[in-house]
Amino acid sequence: MKKVSIVGSGNVGVNSAFFIAETAAANVLLVDIQEGISTGKALDLMEAAPIRRYRTRIEGSDAIADIAGSEVVVLAAGLIRAPGKERSEHFQANAALARELATAIAKQAPEAKVIVATEPVDAIVKVVVETTGFDRHRVIGVGGILDSMRMASFIADALGVSPRDIHALVIGSHTGRMVPLPFYARVNGVEISQLLDAQTVGRIVDDTRRAGDVIVDLAKHANAYYAPSAAITTLVEAICLDLKVVRSVSVLLAGEYGLSDVALSVPCKLGAAGVEQIIELALNEEDRQALAASAGPVRALFAPAEDRKGTR
Amino acid sequence: MKKVSIIGAGHVGATCAYYVAEKNIADIVLVDVVEGMPQAKGLDFCQAAPLRQYGVKVTGTNRYAEIAGSDVVVVTAGVPRKPGMDRMDLLKINTEIVKTAARAIAEYAPNSTIIVVSNPLDIMCMVALDASGFALKRVFGMAGILDSTRFRWFVAEKLGVSVHNVQAMVLGGHGDTMVPLPRFTTVNGIPITELLPAAEIQALSDRTREGGAEIVKYLKTGSAFYAPAASTAEMVEAVLTDEKRIQPCAAYLRGEYGHEAIYLGVPVLIGANGAEKIIELDLSLEEKAMLDRSAEAVKEGLKALRSFYTMA
Repeated sequence: MKKVSIVGSGNVGVNSAFFIAETAAANVLLVDIQEGISTGKALDLMEAAPIRRYRTRIEGSDAIADIAGSEVVVLAAGLIRAPGKERSEHFQANAALARELATAIAKQAPEAKVIVATEPVDAIVKVVVETTGFDRHRVIGVGGILDSMRMASFIADALGVSPRDIHALVIGSHTGRMVPLPFYARVNGVEISQLLDAQTVGRIVDDTRRAGDVIVDLAKHANAYYAPSAAITTLVEAICLDLKVVRSVSVLLAGEYGLSDVALSVPCKLGAAGVEQIIELALNEEDRQALAASAGPVRALFAPAEDRKGTR
Repeated sequence: MKKVSIIGAGHVGATCAYYVAEKNIADIVLVDVVEGMPQAKGLDFCQAAPLRQYGVKVTGTNRYAEIAGSDVVVVTAGVPRKPGMDRMDLLKINTEIVKTAARAIAEYAPNSTIIVVSNPLDIMCMVALDASGFALKRVFGMAGILDSTRFRWFVAEKLGVSVHNVQAMVLGGHGDTMVPLPRFTTVNGIPITELLPAAEIQALSDRTREGGAEIVKYLKTGSAFYAPAASTAEMVEAVLTDEKRIQPCAAYLRGEYGHEAIYLGVPVLIGANGAEKIIELDLSLEEKAMLDRSAEAVKEGLKALRSFYTMA
């Protein structure tokens, strides 16, 4: 059985462990700096196993060195951006943490694929690639996959049909500038424009852009975690079971879509090696420009401090 | 607990019972004219339950009366297609079998929904509708899901991607004139027309059309049953759980797609009331012409049916 380490035993980390256990894709190690929390959560999960019938092992540890031998390391640690807090400040804090953890990953699990869930995800993907020195195909951000799931659920609601039959595709940065692509949103293969009027599609696109914020507003001081955990689990399964699944994930671009040195979500084929293929869609000019523009807020985070004023 | 009866406990019927049992959504009654065979399969299923962890009852019987109270009745009974045997060769024998079954369903399970699997499918749907006297929505046929799942598998295999990523829409009659729709066949929303050259798509479409025959050729004395049973179980589940799926099924047309009073494979909204709604796609001229050809083939079959069968 393969080993997946999840760094950060908060809601996202622990729910991911739970979902991964139920898929039987890998054994899970939860790691957190907060003493005891990982072991406590792991015990609780193992005590549910007899009823939920998973046979995977879940363990907890306070020592990052225990991630040694991991096939996949999930980065689920970091601060949640408090309402009103500057994006750049939030990024600086999480980037510092990501650098520290990435250094440990490079040392303890040099062969691992890294799944980044820490926000702002696209920027953190770049930080992790640079810090670990890993091939960019081994560092994968949970961005578009989550936005796509949300768009699919809104389409299911609007149509009153089962979400099982719906695929949606959202690319670009995991920000308000994300690029939902209605042409690639399908109900059992059929374009949603055949089933919904333009106004409804427009509303779905808007709802998708705001979906993360809506949950933060409702839950106060807490991020979404069920859908993010489900997205992480899909990626863990794709890698551990070499599923060759196509999903929109954040990957450091090197010329694809005419963009470089920025991580954005684009459709990728995911398997044992991580991102095994970046699929270049035949985008129209408008979508191509929207994709380039969606890199703006991500690039801004890396700009020198004096250029960053006014960005949030 | 809901109840599903499956008429015809051969390979398709029994395998369908297995897939439905594992979903844990309904008790199952297997009905067959062969003495002892359905009873034996029912017992065998029950004895696998402790290991497979389904909690539903599976029973076998030779008596139609035991389908009483069924929510769904699946009709798989019929003689299988032998090598060299045209679908039309089956017509007379299977008409008699399906007529008998449909009359029994009307008598013992008058509130059920009928899912027809027996071949030639589009014609047997008409026989079941006529002999049961049920409302149009409550008699529909399994064909398009099967043709689509075959197409999905062929596409996934060709592209080296996970089958779970691939959606497909195959319309038309369940025969050589079926209509695979490549622009509504997608990988995570991306039409295969962006991922494969036209010649390869054509080859996959052709293989789909011949999908049933390819297996008959190998088996010599039998036909496919895993994929047909899985497809049927999807429909059973959608009805029992009121799932509102949009999947291609053989549905009775009343002017949709320009055809009247025939069963043809079209996208259907499947829910508790059966084929709740027919979805009319905006087809290209070429696609529409193919669908029309397919409808003509079905009408030929109906003509053959009328030569010896008088509809109520």
